Amino acid sequence: MPKPAAAESLRRGARRARAPVARLLALVGLALLVLEIGPGHAQVKLLPTEEAFRFSARALDARTVEANFAVADGYYLYRDKLRFSAGTPAVTVGTVELPAGKVKDDQFFGKVETYRDRVVVRLPLENTAAGQSVTVRADSQGCADVGVCYPPNVQSVTLTMPQPGGPSGPLIDANPPKKRWFN
Amino acid sequence: MNQESSRPSSRSRWVAYVLSALVALALGLYAFRLLPEPAPGSRDSGPLLAVSLPDADGHPQSLSQWRGRLLVVNFWATWCAPCREEMPMFVRAQAAYGAKGLQFVGIAVDDAVKVRQFANEIGLNYPALIGGYGAMELSKSLGNSVMALPFTIVIGPKGDVVLTQLGPVRAAQLERLVADFL
Repeated sequence: MPKPAAAESLRRGARRARAPVARLLALVGLALLVLEIGPGHAQVKLLPTEEAFRFSARALDARTVEANFAVADGYYLYRDKLRFSAGTPAVTVGTVELPAGKVKDDQFFGKVETYRDRVVVRLPLENTAAGQSVTVRADSQGCADVGVCYPPNVQSVTLTMPQPGGPSGPLIDANPPKKRWFN
Repeated sequence: MNQESSRPSSRSRWVAYVLSALVALALGLYAFRLLPEPAPGSRDSGPLLAVSLPDADGHPQSLSQWRGRLLVVNFWATWCAPCREEMPMFVRAQAAYGAKGLQFVGIAVDDAVKVRQFANEIGLNYPALIGGYGAMELSKSLGNSVMALPFTIVIGPKGDVVLTQLGPVRAAQLERLVADFL
């Protein structure tokens, strides 16, 4: 009959023997987990272009519109493919200053600037009037990091130009999210 | 049992529980992935083989002329960097396995001038059909629900769709297809 000290050392020995197996199992598990959620996994779920690059805008005053692009995580827009125009007769978009993008060294297109997360652009409109309903169109093109690109896309919003001295208009989504949990 | 020996043992038991949970989770996820995925597109190649589009020189080409070959139909565009990236591999595969029955066909969501220019640039050795934006709608009807590029459909020699893929095709996938069907 082993003494208590010897029994303890036997138990410890058994624990030591089990430890490598547990460690190996844990490693296999973690490796599978990394493979499962890691990059390079084929057939990932991709967003439709309007959800990957969500366009919205609001009228700041009777002659200025603020255009926004919310770019989903893992997606990017090309700066040189971004264009804004007015879809209302006689109204035109003046000179637009696009913010600097992140420079990407593309194997084929050379140095290109891209936007991620959020882009905000001020659009000076010409020939607008307070209270007028104006449609603003945004042409954009972007890709997802997983290695797919979306064709050039046009999204538009229709805004009511505010009265002089009045508050800015509300932010209007070109493609409102389909699922709304509130309101 | 005294305090010193019970503490490490309960800690290691706790660690073991967490590790087992992680292993179980990972095995579960892995097993889930091994389940057959529902095919995003149809298994019937009929609608695709019925398509006829002009090539870069303006001559109409029907996809049905390549029936019986291992046909890789690749939707692409010159404005799509990942498309341009994978095409040199297609050129090499066409050269290596064309005689055995592999046939690539590109359908460009683009115009003929840009397609011809890029085809010359990479020495394209398979037909490049001009689909314009309509090709995007065609690819949607074939399973490209988000309408992004590249999108590739492979039709086996017996006429069934054997691969529908959004995103670049890997060399290993091509090798597997060649090994399985040619």
